[in-house]
Amino acid sequence: MTRKCDRSSQGAVNLGELLTRVENDHELLCELIGIFKEDFPRLLQSLQQSVAREDMKHVEATSHALKGMLSGLSVTQAAATASRLEQMGREGKTSGLTSALTLLENEVADLLPELNAYTEKAKP
Amino acid sequence: MKILIADDDGMSRQLLEKTLEREGYEVISVDNGRCALQQLSLPDGPRLALLDWMMPELDGPGVCLEVRKQYDRPYVHIVLLTSRKSKEDVVEGLEAGADDYLTKPWDPAELTARLRVGQRILQLEDRLVEARETMRFKATHDPLTSLFNRGVIVDLLARELTRTRREKGCTVVMLGDLDHFKDVNDTYGHVVGDEVLREIARRLLGSVRSYDFVGRYGGEEFLIVLNNCDSNSAVARAEEVRNGIALHSLQTMRGPLPITMSLGVLSSRDWDLHLVEEILGETDLALYQAKADGRNCVRLAKPPVLYNVPLQQIR
Repeated sequence: MTRKCDRSSQGAVNLGELLTRVENDHELLCELIGIFKEDFPRLLQSLQQSVAREDMKHVEATSHALKGMLSGLSVTQAAATASRLEQMGREGKTSGLTSALTLLENEVADLLPELNAYTEKAKP
Repeated sequence: MKILIADDDGMSRQLLEKTLEREGYEVISVDNGRCALQQLSLPDGPRLALLDWMMPELDGPGVCLEVRKQYDRPYVHIVLLTSRKSKEDVVEGLEAGADDYLTKPWDPAELTARLRVGQRILQLEDRLVEARETMRFKATHDPLTSLFNRGVIVDLLARELTRTRREKGCTVVMLGDLDHFKDVNDTYGHVVGDEVLREIARRLLGSVRSYDFVGRYGGEEFLIVLNNCDSNSAVARAEEVRNGIALHSLQTMRGPLPITMSLGVLSSRDWDLHLVEEILGETDLALYQAKADGRNCVRLAKPPVLYNVPLQQIR
């Protein structure tokens, strides 16, 4: 039997997995989130522009970078979508590109507030 | 131990830095492949490296290929750390020269365990290199004095003579023999004799330039090869060597001993000899002359003077 993931209750970030990866170092996690918050919007914007231009080489490179960041924060579902975009960029496949980008945008929509909430909670 | 992290993703770098610092590594962190190669090419650069695949300027496999071209450097253990997971990518990465391959996101325990494997391999390599160097030293050096052994010093002389002829330069050869050394052994014993030989070796090395060669030719005989030495100063240089021994007594466990050396000297420019055996033969004759002239002196090997006189006139 397949279990459906309830994103509303679980959130975009798999916090349990993430804390294991940083060995429960909350301070380090806050630092990582800080880097993410700085780099992620810039990269997402860059991806949006490359998709609009259908610059597939750039789509591949930017999606690859986004995939790395997202999987680094255990945002697995969005990381998988970024991976799909990277593959499309590598293959020069433009059909379905915009919808894949929209899916990614939706998947990360709640991400920054969720991360902000965590850092607020983690403050001493 | 130093470790290099090369990743253009700031988050990955930060996480790796913290994880590896906790493990006690001295972390050097860069954000592109060109800087990674630069770090790995430094004389005391890191020998463990974690490289991302896709990086600006030079990618991870590109760094591996460049590092593997540096045969004269100690081995660097490289782990590719990437989100590229296909079998083709793994093969390509390993073929480029990576030693290990880990995919992102990594598990910290697995990462550190794999790095420990890398460390073990590097330690094994260090031990092998050390053993090889020890064997090489033993095969080329005299065990008592640590000078070059006879085979090596004669080879070095032959090589220098060839080079000198090619460059129309001059090599000075000295053959030195300790005077009355048998008496030292007979009177004070072989332990003191060995002590004397070790000190003589130290003084000989101290009286020549760093690029000259000194070897133990026989029991108490030493061969010295001075490269690119001015022919006119051959005797003066030999006198320096002689004085370096004669002027100060040697300190031994049985008290100070006055030791002297007789030397035969030959300047290759004065002779038209090609065989090293001939050169050594003539130098040895000069040494015999020094012994015959009362020891503790230097004698120069001089070629016979040939007069351009017709044979009929001599008869």
